Amino acid sequence: MTTPATTATAPVPPATACPRPVGRGRVVTAYRWEITKLAAQARTRATLAVCLVAPFVFVVLLDRQDRLPKDTLYGRWVHASGFATPLLVLGFAAQWVFPLLTSLVAGDIFASEDQHGTWKTILTRSHSRTQIFWAKALAAATFAVLLLAVLALSCLAAGVLLVGHQPLESLSGTLLPSGRTAGLVLAAWASTLPPLLGFTALGIMLSVLTRSSPAGIVGPIILGLLMQLYAFLNGADTIRHLLLVTPFDAWHGLLAAHPYYGPLRDGTLVSVGYILICLAIAYTALRRRDITGG
Amino acid sequence: MPRPTSNRLIRAAVAVGAVTALTAALAGCATDVTRPRVEASVGPVFTNLYVQQQALLGRPGLTPAAVAAKPDCHRSTPGSHDRGAGSDWICQVGWTDAAGRAQNGKFELQVRSNGCYQAGGPTKIVGPVMIQTSTGKNVINPVFEFDGCFDTT
Repeated sequence: MTTPATTATAPVPPATACPRPVGRGRVVTAYRWEITKLAAQARTRATLAVCLVAPFVFVVLLDRQDRLPKDTLYGRWVHASGFATPLLVLGFAAQWVFPLLTSLVAGDIFASEDQHGTWKTILTRSHSRTQIFWAKALAAATFAVLLLAVLALSCLAAGVLLVGHQPLESLSGTLLPSGRTAGLVLAAWASTLPPLLGFTALGIMLSVLTRSSPAGIVGPIILGLLMQLYAFLNGADTIRHLLLVTPFDAWHGLLAAHPYYGPLRDGTLVSVGYILICLAIAYTALRRRDITGG
Repeated sequence: MPRPTSNRLIRAAVAVGAVTALTAALAGCATDVTRPRVEASVGPVFTNLYVQQQALLGRPGLTPAAVAAKPDCHRSTPGSHDRGAGSDWICQVGWTDAAGRAQNGKFELQVRSNGCYQAGGPTKIVGPVMIQTSTGKNVINPVFEFDGCFDTT
């Protein structure tokens, strides 16, 4: 630092030895451990493998029968264009598959420490509860993002490889050019990420509050089904807008000839609300919990 | 004192939820599915699909502007005031065909609360579920039954 003429452009701090990781660095360390733990679990691997293979099996089975699943959007076009497959699966998945897949990890990630009685062990390793909380929450979110990506790409690949890349009908009765369609299909899948993370947060909250993996896994599915039921029974629309399953339909706007984004905007706000509330409850409950008893 | 605090938090969350729900319920017999929205969606969707069908049947060159389908939609349940989701929506659609003749057909709609609907047309006018194209291929008749969605925000 004594030669200002040459180092003036690079004001690098002189300390080359990095300090020991504190705060965020610790979260990263804990996060890596959580990911390692998840990757070692047979359940996690099996879930991802199913997400990878199931779409291909689904397309083969659909191909063999004449009856079309017309009740779901794009069901009538599954034989006409391969791009209809991922959109049909998206319609199915929103009903209970997404809540199930994400809560398999999110509903278990805190409760498993209770089941194995390992809270004291991990907390004595110089990581605070806050750091462990964020590491676990991030790990659960990572798994949700990963499985959404795997399922989306696998469905798209299954449709395009086994059925073809014919032009797809938009929801306005016009044909979409196949060049743009792949992007639209992936955008439609990406638009379900906010509510999916909402269900992840719901699973985390139930996992922390109930301290039981089954409750953490089944809870979000049941809540999701109840919300579906409410929408199915044509309850007041104002309440329906506040349900976490409504944003799963926001992609319809993307597939219109003149796309509309209102439902996507509202759905994202609702999802963020769920994420914030659930994480706040989970965080507070974990912080205030008496763990000394084991 | 860990338990009481988290209980209090849960109770607060439930209270907030209940108040929100109540406000929402009081605020609204407001529904997303209304007659103008249904009509504004069915008209263009049918028009576009009809143009596609005519092209498949070997009558290309028909434009959406020439077809110009005009629907008149109502719910058949008394007291529904033509609003709300249901499978009792009926649309009387009038349009111009490739020969320039006025056509008219009754379409039955199943409208869901999320703003998507499934419409079924009269076979006599729109044709059967599968049609043969001018090149001899069997394809799905796009207007026999069709889906559409409209913005509910």
